[in-house]
Amino acid sequence: MQLFPVKENATVSGQKIYLTNNIKEYQRVWFDMLNGIINIIAAAIVAWIIFVTTDILLGLPKKGGVSGAEAIGRSVEEEGGDLNGGYMIGNIVCSPDASAGTLLAACGVYVYGIYGGLAAVVLVFIGNRICHDKGYAGTTGAIIASFVIWGLSFYGISPEQFIAGMVLAIVTIQGLSHKYSSRLLGKLWRFRS
Amino acid sequence: MIELWICGLVAVYAAIRIAFIKNNLLKLPFLNVIGFAVAGSLVLILKDPLSLAAAAAFFIGTTLESNAIASRIAGGKKE
Repeated sequence: MQLFPVKENATVSGQKIYLTNNIKEYQRVWFDMLNGIINIIAAAIVAWIIFVTTDILLGLPKKGGVSGAEAIGRSVEEEGGDLNGGYMIGNIVCSPDASAGTLLAACGVYVYGIYGGLAAVVLVFIGNRICHDKGYAGTTGAIIASFVIWGLSFYGISPEQFIAGMVLAIVTIQGLSHKYSSRLLGKLWRFRS
Repeated sequence: MIELWICGLVAVYAAIRIAFIKNNLLKLPFLNVIGFAVAGSLVLILKDPLSLAAAAAFFIGTTLESNAIASRIAGGKKE
């Protein structure tokens, strides 16, 4: 991407003269970038909805899958967060769940279309078994996400924007404030159960 | 290009947050964020079917490491 487009305008005695103050070009480039940012935010919202609903429907906040996930959940509770939300944060850390499924499905659709997405499903399934995870949250999330991302790639949101969007979506859960994100997840969990 | 910048900046942000957290268990979610960002940028940098395998191997590896560290801190397997 060219941030400051240079337009070749004329040639004077063998030397090219470039004019950089072409307003239309500037507008086009900045508009493209703004459009990309809006698409990334939309992708982040879609990815957030996919992975949070899949995780909560498959019962990740119920209990820690392994003892490490339970310990993380209790640490989050000590910090002032919610225990069930903490369990979900711990489970996301300890095994590839629907969020990892969404990210790898986006990567797969980006490199090889829908078949890449299905390859990502297989990889996530193997990853679940490696990490002693008995659930199917990762696999289910990857299947849903690969079809959604593949479908939306025909409507303007490209898979690479989904990769960036998924990274932003996981930051809102894992990387800003465990206290408030776990409370939000706990509320959603109690709403479900 | 902007997608790659987002992944990189998120990884740097998570690394800075890790440095200021005392509790070892609460460092692991930020480590997970770094795993997401690095796996995403790996595929964005090199668009190839094998980068998908590399990203998946990297990501599953980081979760397995976090799993092992957290379980060790929690006192190992409980039956």
